[in-house]
Amino acid sequence: MSHHWRTNTEEPRPHAPSRWSQGRKRRSDGKLRRYDDTESTVFDDKPSEEPSERPDSFTTPESHKPVARCKDWGSAVEEEEQMREKVGQDIARYKRKLLIHEFGGRERRSSSGSSDSKDSSTHGEMETDPAVLTRRQKQISYGKNTIAYDRYIKAVPRHLREPNVHPRTPNKFKKYSRRSWDQQIRLWRIALHQWDPPAEEDSDLQPFTEEDMICVETSSQDSLFTGTPTKVRKVEAEAELDLEPCGTEEDFVS
Amino acid sequence: MADSEQQEDYKIQGFDADTQSLLKTALKEPGSVDLEKAASVIVDQSLRDATFSREAGRMCYTIIQAESKQTGRTVFRSTLLNRLQVEYKNRKETRARSLQEWVCYVGFMCNVFDYLRVNNMPMLALVNPVYDCLFDLVQPDNLKREEEVDCLVLQLHRVGEQLEKMNCQRMDELFSQLRDSFLLQGGLSSLTQLLLLEMIEYRAAGWRMTDAAQKYYYSEVSE
Repeated sequence: MSHHWRTNTEEPRPHAPSRWSQGRKRRSDGKLRRYDDTESTVFDDKPSEEPSERPDSFTTPESHKPVARCKDWGSAVEEEEQMREKVGQDIARYKRKLLIHEFGGRERRSSSGSSDSKDSSTHGEMETDPAVLTRRQKQISYGKNTIAYDRYIKAVPRHLREPNVHPRTPNKFKKYSRRSWDQQIRLWRIALHQWDPPAEEDSDLQPFTEEDMICVETSSQDSLFTGTPTKVRKVEAEAELDLEPCGTEEDFVS
Repeated sequence: MADSEQQEDYKIQGFDADTQSLLKTALKEPGSVDLEKAASVIVDQSLRDATFSREAGRMCYTIIQAESKQTGRTVFRSTLLNRLQVEYKNRKETRARSLQEWVCYVGFMCNVFDYLRVNNMPMLALVNPVYDCLFDLVQPDNLKREEEVDCLVLQLHRVGEQLEKMNCQRMDELFSQLRDSFLLQGGLSSLTQLLLLEMIEYRAAGWRMTDAAQKYYYSEVSE
């Protein structure tokens, strides 16, 4: 996907492995996008503001470099405003949801799309920083804007999804460290790849293999976690552990 | 605040009568005047008049609030920002043409960044442009001119803390350059060195002046 929208940055960024790009970048109506597609979404223009050496995996741009500015400031700020309002509404909605669950006397959530078992969040604390929420929402949106995601939600209806078996969208409202969150997104994205559409030539529909994952990991790790190789290894080990259950579900691939 | 006071506060006496009335109306009933014109008048004046440029952000803020409340639109803001963007793109030429205008531009841009907020947060779109201007100001050549150093220091006093919150890496980079210049660049005037040192201390103290620093740097300055 990188070459689609990176029209005015100088350095090409490292290419994501092909499996990542497969099936990406559809328009909001679900159709595949063309190079010159004029219909854009809120998320379309953002990537051009990223610093050029970031991988186009899941981290959101936090540029500390001058950025390519293709958009005029007036509309950029307009978009910012809408984005922040949306985040405000989201927060309100989520709070309402928590309240309802509390009064319903039920244990907080068991069947809607957020993860909270096994998690490292500070309990009960909520993330309210709009900048963080916006960033996280964008990461989630990138994941949901895939054919694999559509295939997944069609193949496995919500009520049939099991924790630790099916990928579950990370809960952006929980307090997590930056690293923990990025890792959750990463695992979620990797897990979703099981539902990638069959490739034309080398039909590699099989759920991802060990190598597959290693390839993904290495390609994004170098610039994602520069300078802390030991930690990274540890995180990777966890990643493999966590993913184990997902490897066993060929049955669900339709 | 009474109306008369308020207008005095906005320092619009420098304009001709027509423009004054345009701006007065823009402040009260933005829907009934040409806001694109109002925006461009304000920018033009800001680029000429340093004092005005340092205060214009507040006036812009008031007009934007009023427009949004009364008409739900953002004509003024968009025009203002897009004009700022044009000036931003031309800043190298501006600086070559007129130092005064360049310094006014930076002051105005920072003032706008300071006052105009989106859902009570600074506008992301301006973070990097503002940084770019500040980086321009710390170039060795520019530090030789006291107007620019003065401008740099003033802007950092006003928006340094917010800028750092929005993008801390770039602030670190900016201050590395600032320190390098302070230590290594020969030929800086003692006033420039004093200002740079003050800035370094100011940030180090968490964007505050300690009493001792205040005394050291400003006790000689007459009111």
